Amino acid sequence: MTIRTALHAARRATTASALACALLSLAPATARAQEFVKVENAVREQLPAPQFVAAAYGFIWLAILTYVVVVARGLGRTRRDIEELRRRVERASGGDKRT
Amino acid sequence: MSTVGRGLAVAVVVAGVGFLMVPLLIVSAPIEPVMGVVQKIFYFHVPCAIMMFVSTFTAAGGSIAYLFRGSERGDRIAHAAGELGVLFGACVLVTGPLWGRKAWGVWWQWDARLTSCLLLFLILNGYLLARRYGGPAGKKLAAALALFAAVDVPLVYKSVDIWRTVHPQTTVVPSLDPRMRPAFWAAFALITLVWGILLTLRVRLEDLRATVDDLDLLTDDLAENRP
Repeated sequence: MTIRTALHAARRATTASALACALLSLAPATARAQEFVKVENAVREQLPAPQFVAAAYGFIWLAILTYVVVVARGLGRTRRDIEELRRRVERASGGDKRT
Repeated sequence: MSTVGRGLAVAVVVAGVGFLMVPLLIVSAPIEPVMGVVQKIFYFHVPCAIMMFVSTFTAAGGSIAYLFRGSERGDRIAHAAGELGVLFGACVLVTGPLWGRKAWGVWWQWDARLTSCLLLFLILNGYLLARRYGGPAGKKLAAALALFAAVDVPLVYKSVDIWRTVHPQTTVVPSLDPRMRPAFWAAFALITLVWGILLTLRVRLEDLRATVDDLDLLTDDLAENRP
């Protein structure tokens, strides 16, 4: 694509956008609020606050507890690995002494 | 039992007592007249946010020690603190929207405080991902990310004062009703203690993993040198 073709395409796109904006501005804005109307006895959203508080606390303690379990399992596994490796080192160094 | 082990055992017992006492203090604290019962999320939401910041600064401090002095211990502390930053960050980003849904009517607002806090959480996740999947240079890349995370912390804290946001401002804690203070400071002490216990355990795990790596190398050396 040459620079001239690209410039033509850009010009066409700009003209189309400008036309679309002009048409939209002519259309009646029926969806927009023209005034605020007071409503009597409107039903207000009722959310149970204690459940939100319980969910928040529940999540925090669950997250901490899960993390403690993960770390504790990691510690146990790593300690077992260390014991196993120490036994291997002892066996290998004992083998060296015999040779 | 070692001194660290004894200290840890005492801390766990104190934390256990705290788990029983702090909810009682929170229930007995007065109900906030505008937001109602849902404001009680504040007593754990704010300490979790503070621990997220402390974790980030600890990770940055450890990363500086690793980057500029080659301290492996610093890197291990940074790794542990980075994980805790993600843990407490998740707590903040879950409890906050629960509060917001009731208080503001929406789960989320792309305002400065919430967005910068989410960004901090993502940087901390990036830190952990870089360590895990970054290859040989992953630890150094992650350490640099921890520094960027630390730079984001003052931005998160001051965002409510700099920009207009729906989030309560930093003056909330200093101007807290005196009858609400015992519950808040007790919850803060408990969360700080839990953070200290978790950091100690997590650093211990990293220390043990380093020992495993050393022993692994030693067994390989011994196997190679065996005739």
